[in-house]
Amino acid sequence: MLAAVAALPDDVARVALDLPLRANLSALDNIALIPLYQSHFDATESTRQAQAMLERLGFAGIAPLRDPDMTPAQRFATQLARALILQRPRLVIDRPGAMLYDVPYPAFIRQLAEQAAMTGTWEIYDFSWNQPLYNQALDSE
Amino acid sequence: MNFLAASIESLGAKVTGWFTVGYGIFAFLAKAVLLLLLDRTIWNRATFDVVIKQVYFTSVQILHVFLGYALVISWLIITIILSTARDFGLTEFASEMTIRVLVLELLPFLTALFIALRSGSAINTEIALMQVNNELDALAHCKVPPMQFEFLPRLIGGVISVITLAGLAGLLALLLAYLSIYGLSMAGFEPFTQTFAKIFNLQIMAGLIAKCALFGLAVTLIPITAGLETPKKLFMVPVSVLRGMMRVFFAIVAIEVVSLALKYI
Repeated sequence: MLAAVAALPDDVARVALDLPLRANLSALDNIALIPLYQSHFDATESTRQAQAMLERLGFAGIAPLRDPDMTPAQRFATQLARALILQRPRLVIDRPGAMLYDVPYPAFIRQLAEQAAMTGTWEIYDFSWNQPLYNQALDSE
Repeated sequence: MNFLAASIESLGAKVTGWFTVGYGIFAFLAKAVLLLLLDRTIWNRATFDVVIKQVYFTSVQILHVFLGYALVISWLIITIILSTARDFGLTEFASEMTIRVLVLELLPFLTALFIALRSGSAINTEIALMQVNNELDALAHCKVPPMQFEFLPRLIGGVISVITLAGLAGLLALLLAYLSIYGLSMAGFEPFTQTFAKIFNLQIMAGLIAKCALFGLAVTLIPITAGLETPKKLFMVPVSVLRGMMRVFFAIVAIEVVSLALKYI
């Protein structure tokens, strides 16, 4: 599984423990970096897009927080927002259990996906022994 | 015999290591300069904003502390020079001595040391932590160029900061020297400005600016490259900072020695 993740092409946006946020930047600035440097928007527009992405995921309040001040769920939401703003056709969430160790994460990710209402594919790579957690999330619906 | 062989082997490994480090530093600098000169997209508002932020953190934030420190050092050195000059009956050379010792040599050197200890060590630690925590990999994954976003602004900020702070400290020292030698009277203005003009020809000015720019590069470039060399192990961060700061110290001393040799030998 790890080899499969490592071999992912460049057009895949990844959310993973080994792709952390920039520790000395706020959640908002971490996300705003993408439109600022990739699309060359100005700082105001980049910040507006980043704030809009956080609002879309239901995490508008964490904008000023830096990585060490965030809960695992807030950190994950910021990483997800950063991956979504990349606007790549595929999104891979790599071993979410390592990042979301204090919430029932399959249900949490489903909730975020519904809020984000994005087009494109979301793929979750996880250990096979965590399959029951996903089954539980599906059964509870 | 074994001891001799082991010593030669150890020395060889050290020399190879120094060359590798030197090559790494110059290769990084060449990459940064080429990017600055050839990539026009780098000259945008985002880069400019980060440079301004770096200049603020490196020089503006500590300006009052730095000027206080420059004032005390300058006052002490000027007092020593003046009293020695009076003892030997060489008072007419006191202003020239002050300018040469303080403005041209000591203050730029101390400025570089000040910035190295405050910002250089912070840069080294931050880059090493970014390297260990995979933050640079994350930036690369998001196609945010670390050179443009993290490294170049620090290099440019370091150069601007050392030149500006050394310049300000020099101006302060000149003012203090005038007041110490001539007091509040305007009578000494003409001889003092003549001495100033005699020393500060174009060559000396260019040399001083080049030296400060090299100091600025040394206190930022070396910590950045030392941070990037850090193996991905948290306990290696202090080792990286230790190595980086030792290199910065040797580089600053080497720049000063070469500058003195070029000027006076």
